[in-house]
Amino acid sequence: MAVHLYLSLIPEALIASMLSPEEFGAYYAVGSEKKSRGQAIFFEIDPKFRSKDFCIEEGILRCVPHDDGSPKRSIYIAVYRVLENIPINVIKKLYLTTQDGRTLDLEPAKKLPADDEGLHLYREISPVSPLVVSTNGPKAFYELIVKNPTSLIKLPAVCFAELRLDDLAKDPQNADVGDLPYANIEHLRNCLTDLHTKRVTTKMVDRLPSGGIPYRTIKNGFFVGNQEKLIFFPLPEEKKLVDKYYRWWRSATM
Amino acid sequence: MSQTWLIVGIVSGFISVGVALAIYFWVVRQDPGSERARQVAGWIRDGAASYLKRLYTVLALVAGVLAFVIAIVFSFNLNQLGTGHVDIASSNGMIMAVAFIFGAVCSAVAGYMGMTVAVQANVRTATASSDTLNKGFRVAFYAGSVMGLAMVGLAVIGMCVIFLITGNPEVVLGFSFGASTLALLAKAGGGIYTKTADIAADLVGKVEVGIPEDDPRNPAVVADNVGDNVGDVAGMGADIFDSYVASAVASMLLGAAMAGPDNLKYIIFPLILCTLGIYASLIGIQFVRVGKNGKPGAALNFGTIFTCVLFAAMVIVLVFTGGYDLSVMWSTLVGLATGVVIGFTTEFFTSDEYKPVQETAKVSGSGAAITIITGFSYGLLSIIPSVIGIVIATLISYFISNASGVISGVYGIGISAVGMLAVSGMIVSADAYGPIVDNARGIAEMAGMEHEVIERADVLDSAGNTAKAITKGFAISAAALTVLALFAAYATVIEARGLTLNISLRNPMVIAGVLLGAMTPPIFSALTMLSVTKGAFGMIEEIRRQFRAEPGILAGTVLPDYNRCVSLAADGALTSLILPAFLAVGFPLLVGFMLGPEALGGFLGGSIFTGVIFALFMANAGGLWDNAKKFIEGGAFGGVGSDAHKASIVGDTVGDPFKDTAGPSLNTLITVMSLVASLFAPVIAAFHLF
Repeated sequence: MAVHLYLSLIPEALIASMLSPEEFGAYYAVGSEKKSRGQAIFFEIDPKFRSKDFCIEEGILRCVPHDDGSPKRSIYIAVYRVLENIPINVIKKLYLTTQDGRTLDLEPAKKLPADDEGLHLYREISPVSPLVVSTNGPKAFYELIVKNPTSLIKLPAVCFAELRLDDLAKDPQNADVGDLPYANIEHLRNCLTDLHTKRVTTKMVDRLPSGGIPYRTIKNGFFVGNQEKLIFFPLPEEKKLVDKYYRWWRSATM
Repeated sequence: MSQTWLIVGIVSGFISVGVALAIYFWVVRQDPGSERARQVAGWIRDGAASYLKRLYTVLALVAGVLAFVIAIVFSFNLNQLGTGHVDIASSNGMIMAVAFIFGAVCSAVAGYMGMTVAVQANVRTATASSDTLNKGFRVAFYAGSVMGLAMVGLAVIGMCVIFLITGNPEVVLGFSFGASTLALLAKAGGGIYTKTADIAADLVGKVEVGIPEDDPRNPAVVADNVGDNVGDVAGMGADIFDSYVASAVASMLLGAAMAGPDNLKYIIFPLILCTLGIYASLIGIQFVRVGKNGKPGAALNFGTIFTCVLFAAMVIVLVFTGGYDLSVMWSTLVGLATGVVIGFTTEFFTSDEYKPVQETAKVSGSGAAITIITGFSYGLLSIIPSVIGIVIATLISYFISNASGVISGVYGIGISAVGMLAVSGMIVSADAYGPIVDNARGIAEMAGMEHEVIERADVLDSAGNTAKAITKGFAISAAALTVLALFAAYATVIEARGLTLNISLRNPMVIAGVLLGAMTPPIFSALTMLSVTKGAFGMIEEIRRQFRAEPGILAGTVLPDYNRCVSLAADGALTSLILPAFLAVGFPLLVGFMLGPEALGGFLGGSIFTGVIFALFMANAGGLWDNAKKFIEGGAFGGVGSDAHKASIVGDTVGDPFKDTAGPSLNTLITVMSLVASLFAPVIAAFHLF
């Protein structure tokens, strides 16, 4: 049985496993006897990747089938400060697992999405996980917090998703929220309005948003970047998700 | 001539049942789909069959005991009670007991046929929907019509046969009591079953674990789908069967109380109306069609309205050619029109196209408490159109009939109820369609069918929900008119024994009776809803236990133990029926024997008032909360996962036992209590403490 390397983002960890990505997602979300349940977001890493920062070889050696022949499901190689020590070029696919264990795989895109007008809402996933509004598009936002910070805050690497703001992006005070499920919507409106009225480019909305990552509100996809570069994993459009990945989509919209 | 009509009625009943059987075999010949779909449908079918078997065993026991009591009581010449000498006429007791059993059996057979076809049609509807929406609709609607046609056919056969043999409407009352007793237990039991499973499946599956509706990993998913059948097909069918028969019997009794040479003509007039209703329904069902891109809801509504118009035309022809007084025509038409208007105004309070649902959804963003208060308030307001409709139908039919000088005012009220229920064949067909498409959707989901099939099943399901809401308003209002007529029939039976009933609010016995009667529907509601919470609590523990004991269930590698939840739901439903059944049958008798016939008259009045109000309120508030949640899920006020959605889920969960357990059982409760009072009136007239 082949051993896979996974970079989990919730929590941040490097894991060796004999499960395929779909099986790993299901196991991670619902199949654990330790009762650790919930959404999972993880990257598959090139299995040949080795680094002095992690005891990968030792982890792989421990990743052997159980006595009954069933595959070893997880060997935690590292937790904490993992993302910053993984080169971007060893990241293969991104996997999004719903809380009931359905997994969708996303391929990296060749280029970043075009910037659009209006305000932006970002959900940082790793290494920290606040909800932030910004006047910057994704690339500028990444550069602001990773490459060229203008404040004291600097992240060595980041994974984040841009969330939908719909009409709020242009008219935060008056636009209808439609199907945007964000909690404390008045506070969000105020934060967005502050971006117009105050001299700030980003503003934190919530330090610790509850309820996981709402997949159905992802605007275009996921971004992961470090000092080297930023790459983008686009989420298919809703129609394609409904037509082609109905089970995942249904579960993701719970 | 009257005998001819009775024979026509019997033949028409057999035609109706025959068509139902033909449709049943047509449904069974449809493609049952893939092996997986058949497997899932098999689980539901087995669960439903096992519940029905247990329910009918309990019912047979209850019916046996009651039939024995009836046989004993009616073996005495009730006209001589209290005179010091009573002749024994055991054949009377036997006839009444047989009529009672016959009523229960007819109701059970109609329910069984409806259930049997529903659990065959669900998978075939799903499979047909993979072709076109229209094909899916046809299978589901025709399958629903099996219940509708079997129900009206068996009811008319039963009433006509008994009256043809005995010539005594009071024996038909025994038939009606049998049907109503079964209906009460089937409706309340089905309602408890369905909501126990539904609430438990949702609270653990959706809220705790986060798995979608109808996911095969949920141990309660089969029980939930079985519940749709036992609650909404067998339960609702038995419920309307009961009102249908009771309205006709009440009118027959009131017709018998009228003096004059045309007395017999008016006794069987309700049966003629039911016979015409069979033909109107048989024709109307043929006109329910969905075009290629048509709307199923519009097709169902068109079918209902077309059937009503056709029936109205038949009644007009009958009255003019049969030499009936015009007042019976107006009473029938007023009842029919009121039924239609009440049914459709119910939609105003339960459809997401109107303010009550939208407003409730909007305020949900402020928390569950506001959702509850708003939905509760609109639920209370929702009784206005129905109550005004009942008032108008009562007054118009009463005064027109009274003014005729030919028939009595109260007979007119009874005929109004019969007019409302005569098209039950069509109404029940549309109603039974709902749970079939609901199941079809569940099977499509569980069997992993294409999402287009699920989308089509969603469209069909949405029309079914509206039809269900309309039927509930219709059934409750019809029951209200029926029990008003039964109330008059009770008074007639008592007064026929030489007693004068002083049902005045200045009479303390009446006041006592009114208060006791008024508290009965709330107590009944509480008992049935507590049964739901108790059952759901037990099932929640079982679902959690299964998830804990076998992680492979959630991972989708191991099948859950569906039978355990099916069995728990059935146990909970059946053991919870004892107290509600006593309340319906025993309590009126207790009041009658302890406090006398006037107190019992007040008791019936009190129970009718609170029963109708509670039934309308609960059915509509529950429907409103349900649709407020669906409105939010459709993308309003933050959509799925928003604070408004979370609050609306609380509202929906509170509303579930309102609309599917307590609310729809209350009309059967008040009918049963009125029938018990009328049936035992001669005994109560002779034996009472005060």
